Amino acid sequence: MQGELKHEDVEAARRDLADRTLAKIRGDFARLIYLASMRDYNTGEYHHEGLALRFTESVAGRAISSCHRDMFRRLVLCPVKELVKQLELYADSNCSTSSELVRVWEKLQLYRVAVPLECSPLAARLFASNIRAALAILQSRQLRAHREALSALPAP
Amino acid sequence: MSVLAYLLLAFLTIVNIFLFLSRRGRRRDSNQDGDGTGLGMSIPFGWDPLDSELSARIFDPEDADFVANETSRPNARQFRQERTVLALDWLRAIRYHVNQLIRAHLRAARGNAGLKPADEIRLGFEFLLFQLTSGILYLVIWACGPPRAAKLVGYSLELAGQLRKVTEDVLPAGRQVAVELMNNKQEPRG
Repeated sequence: MQGELKHEDVEAARRDLADRTLAKIRGDFARLIYLASMRDYNTGEYHHEGLALRFTESVAGRAISSCHRDMFRRLVLCPVKELVKQLELYADSNCSTSSELVRVWEKLQLYRVAVPLECSPLAARLFASNIRAALAILQSRQLRAHREALSALPAP
Repeated sequence: MSVLAYLLLAFLTIVNIFLFLSRRGRRRDSNQDGDGTGLGMSIPFGWDPLDSELSARIFDPEDADFVANETSRPNARQFRQERTVLALDWLRAIRYHVNQLIRAHLRAARGNAGLKPADEIRLGFEFLLFQLTSGILYLVIWACGPPRAAKLVGYSLELAGQLRKVTEDVLPAGRQVAVELMNNKQEPRG
């Protein structure tokens, strides 16, 4: 009975998080990064003050963890084409350019911290491979656009 | 006569490759057993190992085509290589899962007096068929890449699913042992 109640609490916290916070973030990729950012790097536990106040610390942690897993699963299973769109959307919503995002992410490989703790190495590697491919595509598009812009300039 | 000799040679080559692959798979399995973490061949959380979603993504030709069209050749080649490695690892994970199921079944069957020989033979045949199919799949992935092997993946998964069902039908106790075994494997992951 207690377990059932707790499950309901976690579900309620999940809905709360989805409605109040995640719905306001543009794109699944941005949501994933947001969810991963609530995780303590040392303990792997999730913290969200508002959610913890409305529910409890442990219910909030479980709800965020569950949302993080779902979001990650969705992105692991989405095609590279869709992932490229998500990355573009993420760059736009963070007021940075795609070229900046590609440059920094290729160097720091920040997408690695977005992987949930319970994830298998296989899914994590698939995700990393897809993100690398998506970043390479973004870079290729930028180069193409740059070349086209240069060729459109009138010859001196 | 020469045709027969060629056929025999081809047959022996296939058997050799199959034996090599199954030994390799077994060696990997035992290495993972020794590791005790269960991380090496673990399947994504919340995902049934025989779930087709992850394999569909890994083997999907759409991604490879898109990357090839949108980016440079070295990037496309690297992507193809990564997908091949992932596909081979996925196949090893499925084989590992099936091997665990059969081991659990054998363990449960040892103390069971009510075994039906016909069901056991059926199980053995299904297992052999799965090993053969996954061996061929391994070769196709390795030689031609995951997109070309996509059709065989469905068949292999179907066979693995059937095997699981047969182990459950033949000996319900086997399922419990398998579940216990899987739980024990996952415990260290915390």
